[in-house]
Amino acid sequence: MTEIILMAHVLFGMLCIVAGVWLFVDVLHANEANQGRIRTMSMAVAVLMWLAYLVGGYWYLNFYYVDKAIILKGPWPFAHTFFMEMKEHVAIMLLLLVTYLPIAAANNTAVNKGARKLVLWVVGLIVLIGIATDGAGAIIGIGAKVGLLVTKG
Amino acid sequence: METISKYTVSFGASLAITSILSALLVVLKELNENSVLAWMKGLTSHHWITHGLFMVIAFFAIGWGLAKMNNGEGLKMTPERLVCMIASGVVIGGLIISGFYLVD
Repeated sequence: MTEIILMAHVLFGMLCIVAGVWLFVDVLHANEANQGRIRTMSMAVAVLMWLAYLVGGYWYLNFYYVDKAIILKGPWPFAHTFFMEMKEHVAIMLLLLVTYLPIAAANNTAVNKGARKLVLWVVGLIVLIGIATDGAGAIIGIGAKVGLLVTKG
Repeated sequence: METISKYTVSFGASLAITSILSALLVVLKELNENSVLAWMKGLTSHHWITHGLFMVIAFFAIGWGLAKMNNGEGLKMTPERLVCMIASGVVIGGLIISGFYLVD
């Protein structure tokens, strides 16, 4: 069950990144016809990241202590002391960015170049930070794996 | 000059401010485990939940406050300057967090 929760966290995060890339391309080609889709996709990015945050947060608060102990005793303690600590706090900034995205996307990006530039920057930051936190998650997973390998001898 | 809505400007500025506040709270709580961190943990059972709640509340409170400035017309800023402010806030916040855990 805990693995399903963790995979759901990764799934929502990855879907958020994919939706973000979709939105970036849509805004690059903003016109009157795709304004509705831009607003829908900006909401989708926000909802997916909130789901990733809540599901990941539930797992972190209830199950991560087991992995944490293994990581800290293993050869990659930095997987927790740097990557997890950094990830859990950068994720809060990511949450603020996705919450802001629909507000920025409410402007007409087809006629307003300033608004278009703003949405592109916000969604660009979301995608880049999303990829970075996804990579950090992978390092945390490997940290637990190499920790278990040492434990098993 | 192209304009964007007062809520876009106000909540964008709030995003930049809150990102840096969040990073500073990380440093503050980690350097004061027995006082600040323990107090945050006591509020919701985990300091991370409290941290997230504080930042979401701060984001909306600051954004709402900035939107009420100038007799309700909100904070004034060009889109270019807002982009610069948001990018700077997020990058500086990220560097503070990463830098802190790198040297901690």
